[in-house]
Amino acid sequence: MRFFLFTLLFLYSIFSFSQYFEYQSHLIDDNLKKNADAVVRLDEMVVDVSAQDYMVLKSKRVVTVLNKKGRKHVHAYGGYSNSRKLKFIKAVIYDAFGNELKKIREKDFIDVSAVSGGTLYSDYRIKYLKYTPTQYPYTVIFEKEIQTKNTAFIPSWYFMDGFMSSVEKNRFLINYSSSDLKPVIKEKNLESLNVKIKNNENSISYSVANIPAVRYENLGPPSNELAPKIMVRLNDFHYEGYNAHVENWEQLGSWMYNNILKGRDELPESVKQHVNELVKDADTNLEKAKIVYEYMQSVTRYISVQVGIGGIQPILASQVDRVKYGDCKGLSNYTHSLLDAVGVESYYVHVEAGRDKVDFDEEFPSLEQGNHAILAIPNGDDYTWIDCTSQTHPFGFVGDFTDDRMVLVMKPEGGVIVRTPVYIEETNSQKIEGKIELLSNGTLKAKAIIETTGIKYDNRFNIENEDKEEVLEHYQNQWSTINNLVLKDYKFSNNKSEVKFLEEVSISAENFSKPSGGRILFCANILNRNNFVPKRYRSRKMPFKISRGFLDIDSYKIKIPDGYTVESLPNKKEISSEFGDYVAEVVMLEDGSLKYEHRFLLKSGNYPKEKYNDYRNFRKEVSKSDNAQVVLIKKE
Amino acid sequence: MSNFIKVVALLFVYTTSSFAQDVKFGKVSKEELSEKIYKKDSTADAAVLYRKIKVFFSYRENNGFVIEREVHERIKIYNNGGFKYATVIENLYDRGGSRESIYNLKAYTFNLVGNEIEKTKLKSSDTFTEESSKYYTKEKFTMPNLKEGSVIEYKYTVNSPFYSSFNEIILQYDIPILEQEINVAIPEYFTFKNITKGYLAYNIEKSSKPGSITFTDKNRTSAGGGIGGGAIKTNFTTSKLDYNINISKVHMVNVPSLKKELYVNSMNNYRSAIKYELQYVKFPNSSLENYSSSWEDVVKKIYKNEEFGNQLNFKKYYKSDLEKVVLGKASEKEKTNAVYSYVQSRMNWNGINGYYTDEGVKKAYDLKVGNVADINLMLVSMLRSAGLNANPVLVSTRSNGVPLFPTRYGFNYVVALVKIEGKNIFLDATSKYSKPNMLPVRALNWAGRIVKEGGLSASISLMPDYTSSENIMMLASISNTGDAEGKVRRVCKDYIAYNFRAINSDLSEEDYLEKLEENYNGIEISEYSIKNKEKVGKPILESFSFNAEDATEIIGDKMYLSPLFWLSQTENPFKKENREYPIDYGYPWEDTYSITIKIPKGYKIESVPESCNIVIGDDIGQYILLIAKTSDGLQIKSELKVNQAIIFATHYKGLKDFYNAMVEKQTEKVVLSKI
Repeated sequence: MRFFLFTLLFLYSIFSFSQYFEYQSHLIDDNLKKNADAVVRLDEMVVDVSAQDYMVLKSKRVVTVLNKKGRKHVHAYGGYSNSRKLKFIKAVIYDAFGNELKKIREKDFIDVSAVSGGTLYSDYRIKYLKYTPTQYPYTVIFEKEIQTKNTAFIPSWYFMDGFMSSVEKNRFLINYSSSDLKPVIKEKNLESLNVKIKNNENSISYSVANIPAVRYENLGPPSNELAPKIMVRLNDFHYEGYNAHVENWEQLGSWMYNNILKGRDELPESVKQHVNELVKDADTNLEKAKIVYEYMQSVTRYISVQVGIGGIQPILASQVDRVKYGDCKGLSNYTHSLLDAVGVESYYVHVEAGRDKVDFDEEFPSLEQGNHAILAIPNGDDYTWIDCTSQTHPFGFVGDFTDDRMVLVMKPEGGVIVRTPVYIEETNSQKIEGKIELLSNGTLKAKAIIETTGIKYDNRFNIENEDKEEVLEHYQNQWSTINNLVLKDYKFSNNKSEVKFLEEVSISAENFSKPSGGRILFCANILNRNNFVPKRYRSRKMPFKISRGFLDIDSYKIKIPDGYTVESLPNKKEISSEFGDYVAEVVMLEDGSLKYEHRFLLKSGNYPKEKYNDYRNFRKEVSKSDNAQVVLIKKE
Repeated sequence: MSNFIKVVALLFVYTTSSFAQDVKFGKVSKEELSEKIYKKDSTADAAVLYRKIKVFFSYRENNGFVIEREVHERIKIYNNGGFKYATVIENLYDRGGSRESIYNLKAYTFNLVGNEIEKTKLKSSDTFTEESSKYYTKEKFTMPNLKEGSVIEYKYTVNSPFYSSFNEIILQYDIPILEQEINVAIPEYFTFKNITKGYLAYNIEKSSKPGSITFTDKNRTSAGGGIGGGAIKTNFTTSKLDYNINISKVHMVNVPSLKKELYVNSMNNYRSAIKYELQYVKFPNSSLENYSSSWEDVVKKIYKNEEFGNQLNFKKYYKSDLEKVVLGKASEKEKTNAVYSYVQSRMNWNGINGYYTDEGVKKAYDLKVGNVADINLMLVSMLRSAGLNANPVLVSTRSNGVPLFPTRYGFNYVVALVKIEGKNIFLDATSKYSKPNMLPVRALNWAGRIVKEGGLSASISLMPDYTSSENIMMLASISNTGDAEGKVRRVCKDYIAYNFRAINSDLSEEDYLEKLEENYNGIEISEYSIKNKEKVGKPILESFSFNAEDATEIIGDKMYLSPLFWLSQTENPFKKENREYPIDYGYPWEDTYSITIKIPKGYKIESVPESCNIVIGDDIGQYILLIAKTSDGLQIKSELKVNQAIIFATHYKGLKDFYNAMVEKQTEKVVLSKI
């Protein structure tokens, strides 16, 4: 025994000595330096699950920073809270030759509250390394150990690093003390990598080596569709005093419902009476729900306070009722309680929110998925969805924050995975009808009626709450090529029940189309030019995605100045491609004025990288046609 | 004269000499609750209906004087855009065992329900204390039961032992203030200077009143006397000290909100506030302790500090290195350049400002890392050791505001200055991309204060007296399908080169070109070369060939083209009607393009835009466009010059019109027609 210990120590000292050379910068393979601002020499995570309610996460990350931009890949920080103890954290910095430059002990890490935007208070804190490099390249060896009883959240493990950072070695190891704690692991997007997997008794490991850096490319699919990772969970886990046995979503939903949500929906009698009074003339459940939702929107606001178990448990509905604010969980649970008071059923929902559409994995029930809560109200075989953190969204319209993705609906009888509404191209529409007049001194006068629906609605309806100056700025930005734009008049009407937003706008602009050399030139598409052309890549590496298509329809009548006649009009343009359809045409009417008709449908879809140039050409053609000029000439 | 009238008018608008109405805490009226918009500014999302700040000194027997700030604010929330004003955050400082604290917090939300006023109390469980960093905690709360139309009201006192750094009282918010009263009462022992900041005018009314402190002295005496005799007895004696309290009062009504504008370095520079700076403390029976009163005093105080003047005297740590650096350098200029480059490349700025050293020059030199003072005071010392006439210059960075009055807090940065043959050369070794006589943009803020040996000082202008330029030469030939191809040579000098390096130095060539192509309307670039990328201080020279599809538009038998192609400015960045604050470019600059266009065979020039020469008054700026026909095309020269780093708002209209005229000119087309 004594001997054994001795060897271990001895080995350890050899190991720490060799480290000195192992991370010299010149040892990095050239292939890993390409496109890289930093090289992750080692990214290692060891998870020790020794009980259903005891887990230790040990990690070590060695990063060679090649230049200033590479500093963001060091990731030397550790988050902690009451239930997540940071047992140790340390870093050592080496120069390119492996000489030690600096040791950073725990007390030298900067300790701050981990409060992000929109959060009033959180008891989650973070310790991070602040280091001013004196030379490049340099190498940081960073180690930390976290201990927690919450085995419900075993973080997913990623094998590749961020953009512009390559990986020399990446290892994940999970040890478990008994077979009932054996983790369930789901592999995602591992096909492209040569991952070595070892299943031993009481441990599972994954390792991979030499992954070159990837450049960021516009329009690339969201990382969840590409990033090689594993998701890890235990069938028997623990969370803040609650044990769970979960093998499927049904059980997870039921556990959530019975342990985390149940009993948090009590409301004072007076509040129940008040909402019942509000809905007394409503016939259907949906009508009632709409009234309750709009009431909730008018009396609450989003403020996030995260304390203790707050990670997944909503604060009490009665508490929200008293202060009239809450985070997504609190407001969803509060609305659920109000609905319950008027006899309308609704279910609490976990979703991964954001502009990127990220699905819950149907086969992998874990609490680690999701970052937002909404409500689902049963509506026949379907659901009506509401986001209780918005004070302005129409009832039943969730917009691009939670659209088109698989989410967890938690019913008393168990959880189900359901897809949220999809807003397809034609439903994301913008129609502009314009009456435009050009004067001979170059002044433009225009009246436009703009109608938007779907995601286009989502992008615009908030201007109804803005003041005059902000509205002016909004149109100056939208029609940025119209210099000297003056807003004469505007009127908005927001048809929430049909999710349609209507803007009636009058503008004028001096010197819009000033005569020059006896001619007036102007772009026929005055109010809706699609000038976006994707960036050219010398060699595109990634596939691309158009996640939300749309339909734009424009129709303008343009009165030309007295004393001028048309010298030339752009030819009719029609494009039909797999990415969408486009038509634009200008014709002269009998009264001498012009009629411009424009229709642009962009389809959503996933495309291989080989199609990128075709897409770029398509958008170039659209942009060119949208900028086509009309030439007027002074009458003799 | 007209300016004088304006100032007088301002005074009338914002201050009233009459006493304020007594606004009682908690007495919110139905009128206030039912109000739908703020009458003086309908765009306001919220407005402060009443605000009272009382600052006074209290005497604590164990701690001496502490400073207290009593805050009372009543805010009307008009719509949900104003909800954010219902969250209050106080930053409290905590250092050396002394800490600021908040007490007596009372807060209510008022709503009109039917015709009744509903009052909701902020519970102590709804307040949060966050330890945000080593030295600061944040006390936070947000009001309960908040709705559109609510009025919130709160009152609390902040207690601070740090009276010497009692800094400023803000007089202007991002929302309007209907009425506010500021009352500052300072015992005669403390002399503060107050400095007004911002664009609002107001009166400070001064008065005084008596105050007193009652001291309790404790004496412990042995009652019995003699060795081992009797018990120990404690006697209490009291004494009273009378003194005078100086009071300054500001009463303002209808204070407008501070609105954001483009090209302003920091809006807070324009936010109205009264700043207080301690000048001296004089207690009875003790000597006067001087803080600052004139620029000379301020500088002397800074100079005397261990972390400033003394740092210039350490020489041993760099002696042998310096000998090597200046070896063989004969002229003062060569020596300056050599020492500067050495410190610039050796030292790494940790991002922290300050005119006092952080690590101290010796340790910083060793670590190769330091704050601004570590690096630039070291630089001054080394320059002096090399025989140069070098001095530190105290600076206020752009984000710190302009120091108009003598104050220590007015400065937050230090640079070096050498005098060579009567010419001043500024040096700042914290930036890897600057060069002699080119301060980083953050330090370009009007004037600094040169500190000579012994602490003598004088004001000195920091603004660059030269123009930074971007110069493009382009040869383009147009094909009969309307595409253009050719060559471009671009030269960026001084600050333009500085910015180029700061933004692009770590980009791969591929990344950079893709970005450049995108900025240049999607032209395709090949045969790219760049010179002097690493040679900081030298101009950046780039050249490339390009191919621009659809550079022109063919309509019928005519071809239309912009004479400056993708270099034309098509949008006026100044869209707002009016402007209140200066436009801050940082340094004078110019863009000059000279373009030679060869037109396709079979086409002739039908018309070209007229040449122009547009100026903004007072020699602020100029734009010249010259278009001349040549045997096979056009020769174009476009020159945009802005001669002043900072343009005052009085010239805004002129600048806006200037840009309009220029945009119009640059978007006019050359017309070619088929022969």
